Amino acid sequence: MLDFAPTEEQEEIRKLAQSIALDHLRPHARKAEAERDSSTELRLTLAQTGLTTPFPEEYGGSGPLEAVTYTLIAEELAYGDPGLALNIIGSLMGPLTVWLAGSREQQERYLPPFGDPTSGYLQRGSLAFAERSGSYTLADVHLQARRTGEGYLLNGTKRDVVHGQRADLRVVLARLAESESAEGQLCAFVLHGVQEGLSIQDEEEKLGLQAAPSATYHFHQAQLPAEALLGEAGSSGAVRAATLYQILRAAIACGTARAAFEYCSAYARERIAFGRPIVSYQGIAFIIAEMAMKLDAARLLTWRAACSWDRGEADETLIYEAESAQHQAVKMAQAATTDAIQVMGGAGFMQDHPAEMWMRDAAAME
Amino acid sequence: MIDFTLSKAQQAARDYAHQVALEEMRPISLECDRTEEIPESFFWNMQRRYWGGAAAQARAYGQDEGVRQENLLSVISQEEMAWGDAALATAIPGPGLAAPPILSQGTPEQQARFLSIYMDGQLHWGALALTEPGIGSDVAGMSTTAVLDGDEWVINGHKHYITNGARADLIVTFATIDKRLGREGIRPFVVPKGTPGLIVGRIEKKMGLRASQTAELIFDNCRIPKENLLAGRGEKKAGFKAAMGTLDATRPMVGSLAVGIARAAYEAACEWLREELPAGYPPQKRRAWEEELKELGQEIEMARFLVWRAAWMADRRIPNSKEASMSKAYAGALVMKATATAVRITAPGEESERKLLIQKWFRDAKVFDIFEGTAQIQRLVIARRLFPTIDIP
Ligand SMILES: Cc1cc2nc3c(=O)[nH]c(=O)nc-3n(C[C@H](O)[C@H](O)[C@H](O)COP(=O)(O)OP(=O)(O)OC[C@H]3O[C@@H](n4cnc5c(N)ncnc54)[C@H](O)[C@@H]3O)c2cc1C
Repeated sequence: MLDFAPTEEQEEIRKLAQSIALDHLRPHARKAEAERDSSTELRLTLAQTGLTTPFPEEYGGSGPLEAVTYTLIAEELAYGDPGLALNIIGSLMGPLTVWLAGSREQQERYLPPFGDPTSGYLQRGSLAFAERSGSYTLADVHLQARRTGEGYLLNGTKRDVVHGQRADLRVVLARLAESESAEGQLCAFVLHGVQEGLSIQDEEEKLGLQAAPSATYHFHQAQLPAEALLGEAGSSGAVRAATLYQILRAAIACGTARAAFEYCSAYARERIAFGRPIVSYQGIAFIIAEMAMKLDAARLLTWRAACSWDRGEADETLIYEAESAQHQAVKMAQAATTDAIQVMGGAGFMQDHPAEMWMRDAAAME
Repeated sequence: MIDFTLSKAQQAARDYAHQVALEEMRPISLECDRTEEIPESFFWNMQRRYWGGAAAQARAYGQDEGVRQENLLSVISQEEMAWGDAALATAIPGPGLAAPPILSQGTPEQQARFLSIYMDGQLHWGALALTEPGIGSDVAGMSTTAVLDGDEWVINGHKHYITNGARADLIVTFATIDKRLGREGIRPFVVPKGTPGLIVGRIEKKMGLRASQTAELIFDNCRIPKENLLAGRGEKKAGFKAAMGTLDATRPMVGSLAVGIARAAYEAACEWLREELPAGYPPQKRRAWEEELKELGQEIEMARFLVWRAAWMADRRIPNSKEASMSKAYAGALVMKATATAVRITAPGEESERKLLIQKWFRDAKVFDIFEGTAQIQRLVIARRLFPTIDIP
């Protein structure tokens, strides 16, 4: 039955995430951007809340993730800072993909380090999704995996891999092709003990989202052992992981837009021009009204995809809904952050205010 | 809990309405648009199948589910009706736009007296008269007057662009009892059809929504009983605020009509690409169109969700004027984009019934940026809610 209200429990978790975002993310955003990473203290703080271990308790997690709940969390984190939110969620996607796609044995092997109460927060995961086009759509995943006697041979390129450089757990999405010509099924592999054929390059000069360090992978005849394939070829795990990432990226875009919307609203209320607050002019008020409207629209689309994910809808439905949500939310966030600067005039262009950073962050989302 | 799946009642409302739209509206759509007339049989069929059948059935299911959902059920079925034909949807017998003010500001006695008219199985309509030649958006500046004379109110003034104005059995007419009071002086009155002094003027010729009746009404010393003033109940004082309040309920309905037309145009353009695209068309052009339609499909979903959310809030009695305006503003802009895109994509090749329908929807669409508050007025409402302490003129 149609319903648009989070549960009380979700509302509490959302508030918790919001207070973390405002107390610990927003104030450190510029520093994280400069240092191109989150601080250890921040990761410890987050780990203590349980927000960063959403997998089963048996592996030390705080309970398995629900997409709707985590969508609410992701929006709040990005409301604090988009780059740090992506840093956190990009890391999470490593263990989450193992949980979603891996066999029991693989889960037992890779998840406990992330759930470790004393050292788990030092672990970094990663999920390599985007390729040359930079887009997070499954049709653009072409990294080729071929079966060999001992395991798999990977060829292709991944970019924008958050934590790709330093991750303790590297997962990649690839196409397992049975023949040279076929496109192959979506699969997830753990890069473990790859000796040759993989080069990793830090992506240093980024337009935005610098607080989420990322890398490019080049695979050239890279040999992976048989146990590198998570779960079985053709199971839905990889699709569920990929669509979850898309949904959470959509939520990050919504949080970014909300940050920009609220920030420029507060500014427009205070700033006086021609003797009146600038928001009393329709030219400004309508921009902000439009922002609020389109943010709500994109958020609803994101929630819908998250609901379907939680209900375990069919792969095609999930892919359509998650990709729609991501596409619309990113587009909306790009418009909202750009307009926020317009509302603020010259001040918006200055680095004293976060608006310019959010505009670059949103631009870097696709 | 956040949920985007339809309940049994919601699904039933959609399915029934869709069937009715498909069978009763689509077949006569182009003809009614051309002639600006609606056959009597349509009204009777709708009376029987829609009010008596589909809507009643959905309401019954709705009651079983034990939550208030009349607004949701209504936007869900309105989308289907507009998918069939938005002009015909405005002409479905029933109290129509007269219902919200009677329900929210009538005493129980007035509700029973006025709404019972619509229960006798005959054909009856209702109308809401706010707009005047001199004022539209700025409703508070209206000049129609009502003066109490003994046991009667005497109404004088001029209203125009009134949907179903000439056929309505009851017209909820807004007038001022004292111009010096400004918006505080505005009150809703129920004027029955046939009251001496109520004169139907011209019926407008329009670019779209042509089968919908848009009438001019002149009130020339029109006398109605004192008891026809909707004076509000308890705390809720009737008047300007209340008039605007009813718009919070009707804006999502208008939004859902816009979504229905947008969807019809989107579906028709997709079908045309599949079935009617002339052979030898450049494939890259076709791909570009498919991309454009995909984008449109997503925007239609967002519009629908905004409408559903606003209606859901109304059912929950959560104040929703900001969200109602968002749903209407978004859907109003979207339906323009959707129909214009469909016209452009389907331009090549032979004339066909599908193309004529698309062109009709394009003409119908523009009004959704205008009535029930223009695109600008919706943005004003949203902005004023976002900044309650700032005067945004
Ligand atoms: C098919 C149809 C059916 C209708 N049915 C009904 C009905 O049943 N009952 C009824 O009462 N009315 C009805 N209307 C009238 C409709 O509600 C009005 O047309 C509408 O409210 C706009 O008023 P207006 O036409 O006088 O335009 P105006 O108010 O003159 O507006 C002209 C332009 O100025 C802009 N504008 C006005 N004020 C502001 C402002 N403060 N800031 C920025 N821009 C502003 C408007 O957005 C618009 O672009 C109907 C209209 C149509 C076309």
